Amino acid sequence: MPRILVGTRKGLFVLTPDNGGPWRVSGPHLKGWEVFHAVADPRDGAVYAATNSFVYGATVHRSEDGGETWTRAEEIGLPEDTGLTLEKTWHVEPGRPGEEGRLWLGGAPGVLFRTDDSGKTWQPIDGVVRHPTREKWNPGAGGMCCHSIQLDPDDPQRMYIAISAAGAFRSEDGGETWEPANQGVAADFFPDNPFPDVGQCVHKLLLHPADPARLWQQNHCGVYRSDDHGRSWERLEGNGLPSGFGFPIALDPADPDTAFVIPEEGAENRVTNDGRLGVYRTRDRGASWELASKGLPQPAWCAVLREAASFDEGGVYFGTQSGSVFVTCDGGESWTEAASQLPPILSVEAADWQ
Amino acid sequence: MLAAEVGGQRRFEVEAETVAAALKSLPVSNLVFDERGELRRLVNVYVDGVDVRDSGGIDRPLCGDEEIRLIGAIAGG
Repeated sequence: MPRILVGTRKGLFVLTPDNGGPWRVSGPHLKGWEVFHAVADPRDGAVYAATNSFVYGATVHRSEDGGETWTRAEEIGLPEDTGLTLEKTWHVEPGRPGEEGRLWLGGAPGVLFRTDDSGKTWQPIDGVVRHPTREKWNPGAGGMCCHSIQLDPDDPQRMYIAISAAGAFRSEDGGETWEPANQGVAADFFPDNPFPDVGQCVHKLLLHPADPARLWQQNHCGVYRSDDHGRSWERLEGNGLPSGFGFPIALDPADPDTAFVIPEEGAENRVTNDGRLGVYRTRDRGASWELASKGLPQPAWCAVLREAASFDEGGVYFGTQSGSVFVTCDGGESWTEAASQLPPILSVEAADWQ
Repeated sequence: MLAAEVGGQRRFEVEAETVAAALKSLPVSNLVFDERGELRRLVNVYVDGVDVRDSGGIDRPLCGDEEIRLIGAIAGG
């Protein structure tokens, strides 16, 4: 079992498995910081946290000792001539094996950074910061956040980002230039033009690690799958999902046809449908969905944020805004509560380190 | 939070011409100032007990031994 990094409104907690007993909870680390996302770099075990404070701004912290001590980014910001300033950091994505010191960082207002020195200095990516469609982008309720960064494991030049509400974008040149990748994705909140080039409200975008042509996204307006590197998308709800609205999505690394979503009632009532904390699973590429909630509390009026679900070979993990972490190790057949009464959970990430 | 960023150290002795220069010499300067070099809106700076925003601003000269205190605004939840 991995450890689980749990980012909350009040710092970072680490959950450690305890040989079949209850999970051990340590923390909070990074006291006072809102931890929008934390991840362990599989290349060296360093933990990175996208940290935000309403007083001290937005930054990234790095720990080499599992969270005991931290260093902070020395240089992070946006070019003055853009008129933009960094509002929030949202998601840290480690680079590929062999790309020593390289990581990517998504933030608000709709910005992407890269570091090549393990998080000491972060360089803004001009192709995103100055994207020609930027004037058509709009912030969602959480700000205009770049929350998803996915690297194609087979092609070192191909990667994806998703921004709410700008849509998904694909780069084929290592992040220099970015093409909108939103064909077939609805923006129902634009009634005159519900299928624009950009402006879609992606909530989370994932690439399947074993079949990187396949992407999944949970959107403000439905759940989608792409089988062609995001060139076109198919809307998937209606066959068993109570709602197309939700935030996180999780996958099964062993099966590209399986995905998990946690629907909410809708954009105007962002809470579990009828008080059912329901994880819904598809095993047939989204053609049908089934409830997979055995062991989850019922009723439970709660919400799971976009970064608050994770998966690995061993299971699926998610955390609620009410401070509980749930784990399945059998593909969603049964769930157990790994922690409760934490501060509101912003992010969950499975983390392997020694 | 600021002290936690520098291993718990709460007090620094620095020599500087202005309040801003003193603060920019600190290892937490990028938490106190944004990427434009502007003092963050919710960081309050007191020089010998007087809010610097009411007494010459962040660029006012320092003279002699003066004590600068950094305090996060009382806001939030």
